[in-house]
Amino acid sequence: MQDEKVFIERLLNPKTQQESFRELLHLYQKPLYNHIRNIVLNHDDTDDVLQNTFLKIFQNISKFKGESKLFSWIYRIATNEALTFLQQKAKKTGISSEEVQQNALNKLESDVFFDGDEIQLKLQKAIAILPEKQQLVFKMKYFEELKYEEISEIVTTSVGALKASYHLAVKKIEEYLKTN
Amino acid sequence: MKDFNLNTKPKIKTGFQVPDHYFELFEAKMMEQLPKKEGKVISLFHRKQIWISSIAAILLVMIAIPIYFNMAKTNTLETATLETYLISEYSTYDIIDKLTNEDIMALENDLSLNDDAVEAYLLDTQNIDYYLNQ
Repeated sequence: MQDEKVFIERLLNPKTQQESFRELLHLYQKPLYNHIRNIVLNHDDTDDVLQNTFLKIFQNISKFKGESKLFSWIYRIATNEALTFLQQKAKKTGISSEEVQQNALNKLESDVFFDGDEIQLKLQKAIAILPEKQQLVFKMKYFEELKYEEISEIVTTSVGALKASYHLAVKKIEEYLKTN
Repeated sequence: MKDFNLNTKPKIKTGFQVPDHYFELFEAKMMEQLPKKEGKVISLFHRKQIWISSIAAILLVMIAIPIYFNMAKTNTLETATLETYLISEYSTYDIIDKLTNEDIMALENDLSLNDDAVEAYLLDTQNIDYYLNQ
């Protein structure tokens, strides 16, 4: 992307706002879709969260101080939106976030937008047994192939802690896959 | 089940699918949803509030100024009327009649006359006989 400062100025300028936001959408909609889908699992829910994420980005771009990269700021909004979505859904139905995720997992097999084989389904089930933060780190590293430095800026955790968290997650998943 | 090593290639994919043309449609849908002018909804409400407050303040000043000047005018008139009334309706003797001994003592203290001043006054006054006979 061109110089971030210039790009943000264009996003704030009413004359160039629409055009530059379209550019931002073009760049981020696929990676953010994947990121959110990995958290909420269902396509329709992902669609809702993705819309909210882009609306938040548009409404708050003037508050972006440039303390982190635009990329990390955008991913942070998407992550917060997805996790908040799970919490709200849990609150509405009177169950925990983990149970919401478990329900979404159980529906995966009949989901028309999931064509995973047995291994892929088992991997999703294995991830679901991990604590929330380990799940997030594993998905961002394994599926989305983000660098540790990038994940570190998004989840505001040190690279060392992330590496430890990822290796622990991998170990637990491999163990689960061996025994199930 | 056989051993799994997540570090080997190819990686296991998520298995998630996206509906056909989803991203093209999403982009169009999102562009339509954008507020035309960011944050102006709030400012319109604020502008309305400011207008109402301004009108109220102007009305208050318009009502308050005449009231203030009328009250000041009324006070001046009252003092003048009182003075005229006292001069026309009461003589010095009438006023003296209304005073009690305490009032006279207080007046004497306020005036703080000394004997020399009284003597000088009496000498300068032609009605000395009148005063001596009182």
